[in-house]
Amino acid sequence: MASIQMIRIVKQFFFFSLFAGLFACSGGGVVRQIPIEDFFKNPEKTAFKLSPDGQCIAYLQPYKNRLNIYVRKLDEEKVLRVSSGSDRNISNFYWANNQQILYLKDNDGDENRRLYAVNKDGTQTRLLIPETKVRVRIISADALQNNEVLLALNKRDSTIFDAYRLNIVTGVLKLVAQNTGTITDWMADAKGQLRLAMSNDGVNETILYRTTEAQSFKTLFTTNFKSSVRPIGFCPEKDCLYALSNRGRDKTALVEIDCRTGKEIRVIFSTENVDVSDAEYSTLHQKIRYATYTTWKSQRVFLDEESKRIFADLSKKLPATEIRLNSTNATEDKWIIRTFTDKNPGAFYLYQVKTKKLSQLAVINTAIKPIELCAMKAVSYTASDGQTLQGYLTLPKSNSPKNLPLVVLPHGGPGARNTWTYNAEVQFLANRGYAVFQVNYRGSTGYGKKFWTAGFKQWGKRSQHDITDGVHWLIKQGIVDPKRVGIYGFSFGGYSALWGLCFEPNLYACGASYSGLSNLFSYLKDIPPYYKPYRLMYEEMVGNPEADADYFRQVSPIFHTENIVAPLLVAQGARDSRVNSNETEQLVKQLRKRGISVTYLVKQKEGHLFRNEENRLDFYRHLEVFLAKHLQN
Amino acid sequence: MEHSQPIYRKNLSLIITFMVLITISFIVAILLAYNFTKKYVENEFAADKIEVFERTIQPYTNFFQQGIPEISYYHGYLDSASADSYARRLIARYAFIEKVIFYDTEVSNWPIRDGIKARYFSVQPKAIYQIGHGVGKKASVIFTNKHPNTLSLKTADEFNKMAIKLSKYVESADTTQSPSPDETFATFYSIDANKISYLNVPRKEELAMFKKLMLSKQPKSPVFEKDMFTFYLNPKRLRLVNTRPELYQQLKIVPLVFEPLSTEGEQLSTDIALPGAFSGYKLYFSSSPAFLKTEIYHRFSPISGAILLIYAFLLLIAYLIYRNLLINKQLFKLQYDFINNLTHEFKTPLSVIKVAGNNIGNSSNLSHADRKRYATILDQEAEKLNTLMNKLLSFTQLENKSITWKTEHIMLADFCSAITHAFLLDKPGFKLSINIKGVAEIQSDPILLSSIFNNLMDNAYKYSPPDRQELAIGIKQQGDQVVFIFKDKGIGITKADSIHIFKKFYRIENKYNQQGSVGLGLAFCKELVNFMKGDITVKSQPGKGSTFIVSIPYTH
Repeated sequence: MASIQMIRIVKQFFFFSLFAGLFACSGGGVVRQIPIEDFFKNPEKTAFKLSPDGQCIAYLQPYKNRLNIYVRKLDEEKVLRVSSGSDRNISNFYWANNQQILYLKDNDGDENRRLYAVNKDGTQTRLLIPETKVRVRIISADALQNNEVLLALNKRDSTIFDAYRLNIVTGVLKLVAQNTGTITDWMADAKGQLRLAMSNDGVNETILYRTTEAQSFKTLFTTNFKSSVRPIGFCPEKDCLYALSNRGRDKTALVEIDCRTGKEIRVIFSTENVDVSDAEYSTLHQKIRYATYTTWKSQRVFLDEESKRIFADLSKKLPATEIRLNSTNATEDKWIIRTFTDKNPGAFYLYQVKTKKLSQLAVINTAIKPIELCAMKAVSYTASDGQTLQGYLTLPKSNSPKNLPLVVLPHGGPGARNTWTYNAEVQFLANRGYAVFQVNYRGSTGYGKKFWTAGFKQWGKRSQHDITDGVHWLIKQGIVDPKRVGIYGFSFGGYSALWGLCFEPNLYACGASYSGLSNLFSYLKDIPPYYKPYRLMYEEMVGNPEADADYFRQVSPIFHTENIVAPLLVAQGARDSRVNSNETEQLVKQLRKRGISVTYLVKQKEGHLFRNEENRLDFYRHLEVFLAKHLQN
Repeated sequence: MEHSQPIYRKNLSLIITFMVLITISFIVAILLAYNFTKKYVENEFAADKIEVFERTIQPYTNFFQQGIPEISYYHGYLDSASADSYARRLIARYAFIEKVIFYDTEVSNWPIRDGIKARYFSVQPKAIYQIGHGVGKKASVIFTNKHPNTLSLKTADEFNKMAIKLSKYVESADTTQSPSPDETFATFYSIDANKISYLNVPRKEELAMFKKLMLSKQPKSPVFEKDMFTFYLNPKRLRLVNTRPELYQQLKIVPLVFEPLSTEGEQLSTDIALPGAFSGYKLYFSSSPAFLKTEIYHRFSPISGAILLIYAFLLLIAYLIYRNLLINKQLFKLQYDFINNLTHEFKTPLSVIKVAGNNIGNSSNLSHADRKRYATILDQEAEKLNTLMNKLLSFTQLENKSITWKTEHIMLADFCSAITHAFLLDKPGFKLSINIKGVAEIQSDPILLSSIFNNLMDNAYKYSPPDRQELAIGIKQQGDQVVFIFKDKGIGITKADSIHIFKKFYRIENKYNQQGSVGLGLAFCKELVNFMKGDITVKSQPGKGSTFIVSIPYTH
């Protein structure tokens, strides 16, 4: 679903998914059934952020069962809630300055997040963009210069986003740069100057650059969308840019780009087998602290002595756990870090660089006892065409690993990947006695350009065959009972589940599709107007609905419901803009007419992903019953 | 005996009444069953047409409910090639589709030369293709907007109708929600005689845009692709599925106005109107009465068989009841005879005793000889009564198994001479011989054994004419048995009687047993022998003599 060009949008999405995952856990002893609530309830406290001056901490915590913003002074216990939304979770917030916080929240699952501002004492909550139809994308909202936040708004035309500067005190909105029609993303420098623009004509991506705002944007270079250049930050030198790029190579590398010529100056870091997935940019020092890449789990390579020292100290204080830098204050001497493992959703800590003092801020999910959870093991197998594939296998605790019931859990996207982390869904299923199998099938990202594009126009072919091959491999090993294999997934994973029931009817005893698409025609038809620039790219990735109509029909489950014989669970948000709820209904009707058992769950006020806790819990309750009925003896 | 006769006659009449009743019931049941079967078959003829109808119309229902709405799943993305493969798939699957017209349609606010324009909203065919029977491998182009103004009215008719429906709907549509099922049916379907047109249902976002295009002047819009199809159907090509070939002789699809000709004879017929695009036609069912009769008999035969079986069973029960009654009657007669005989048997000694008593009482002086004579008479008669009583008593005891078995060592020669000597005391003319072979002594109860001897000797004496009073008793060992053979030259027993002589109270009526017989002797013997785990049989020739053979286990 996501191209690399859409990384920001996707990142926001994943940011939320991460939350959902985080807050979900809870523990299971020697097969104590951990309550669903412990896995999937809203997080207790999360998304800690330091104010620019480092004096205050803001974080999200449930209030009336919805995530709201709480603020406290670093040296005080007293906590103040500054938002009081009871309909939806707040999905993201920013310290605009030392006094004010900006946040995004949608209404009743309309998937249109509106921008609000509030003072850190909870006063003066205000909606900054009153027009309901305008979508807001944040360009830069942390540590503002002159109280001006940089936004991309589709105010002028619903299909294109112009860059605006909004004064959050006066409410004055100024156009900074007009979109030529194909610009999809903007980037500002450390001083809040809008200097980069990413444009996309559907197939090709162009990066535009200017040295100052006084100048106009000039084309730096153009790449086909299959190549990606993701700006990370500006170098201390003039006209120089750090970026993650796979232009001219298969695996993404961290590079330095000359902004006068558009040429790469040097490769800072690259690896042989996987993409460099991220780089931590220090806004203060204008340099890269470290780069990360994900083999079976995330690895880090330091490019800065201070960071290396700090992490060495942190690793000593927090052994045998993953550590992520979440945010810093403006002077970057106070860090908020988060820890986790596969069995532990982890905790937030405050680390003071000067004093090396580490203090815990919050445990993400106190109901989870890591000892009760199951280890997530990296596995690797060879697909039927000889390609080596990587995946993860989580085995339930109390059983000898023989003849287990299996839940195949294909990831969404498909332009995404599974990695070694705490995953509430995986742990929930393993706690209920299922082996859980995740695989980075063809079309997954992180393994280079070739691997990613190998999934193009293969949604219903190679990508699915990779999953099927993995299940056969597990069966062959004797780990899995071939009569008790189920498949469950969200979004593209839901499509995989439907595809599996349609086209591998002998392999799966049941399937569950959570916001899974059933018709590729609708998928392309449903691309919202503001995604229009990506249409051609979608056609290359998914296929052209006219030219590839036969292929679309061949792999779209809605045309092949007569093949489905196994019981199915379908969950759908009525307001989903990506998966058409009418067609899901059609699918269910046709199956029920044929006497196939279908558990159908519709949530009226939800979109693609169920955000309200009660809906999420209700879904997992149904999933639990459904899987137990069809996969347990 | 005279009193019992009416009772048996009553029983007989009851049985006869019963037989008559069940016979009537049988006939009624057969008649009713036939009539019900007939009615049932006729009702089925009228009712089961629904099943035939549903099966016949099933492909059309599938076509209508799944085949047609599938167009919407393509969301307007169909072009001539994919529409062709879609239509050919349907034609291959549903024989009743004669041809398919595909209107590759464009919706915009552009000026158009062909099609329908409502205010700023225009719907025009980009191209029109025909697919189906008689059309080659590729869809044939009927019209393309590369040659504007060539669209014939005939070809445009369906298109214009659908385009106007769409325009009407867009004008007043509530674009905050998708079209309801009612609206969808009213707007995007058009069902006429033998043809169905369908326009793919727009998404609500599209509808909102259409409405904007129609109601206000907008800059030149993009072109929205829509797919419209017209399916020409032939009801005669519906495959008739006669699920009840035994009921419906003939099935056909005929125009709705079709009425059977009266010259066809008395045909049973029924019909059911076809739905939707076929509403001008009906499914017509007919059968000749003879054809239905076959089916009626076919169903009636197992029912009548079952009734017949029940009837036969009832008859059998009636016979068994009758037989039991007969046996009971015989038993009753035996007991009645027994009491008669017993009374008679008691009466003789009693009257003798009474006469002797009177004589003693009436005579003033009784001589010594008379007194002696009377004493002897009284003693003898009392002894007779006593014997009679003992016989009755021991028989009852034997029957109730209340006597005990006292085994003693018996020397057969001594035993026989003692018992025959006593027996012959008052029967001087009786010739009795004993022949013991191969066995000298046995273990047995002497009292029981002597009872058997006495009874059989008594019988031999009693049932022999005065000139042939002979009895030969033979005793021998035969395997593990000791066999006693009593062979006389008496009157003998008929074969029919010989079956019954060991039964209680059975008495052959002849001049030899006018008195002094209660029919217990042989029954008593048999009980005794059985008690001793032995067996008694008889061989006899009437007029020549009888041989009774008693065999008991040989223990010593």
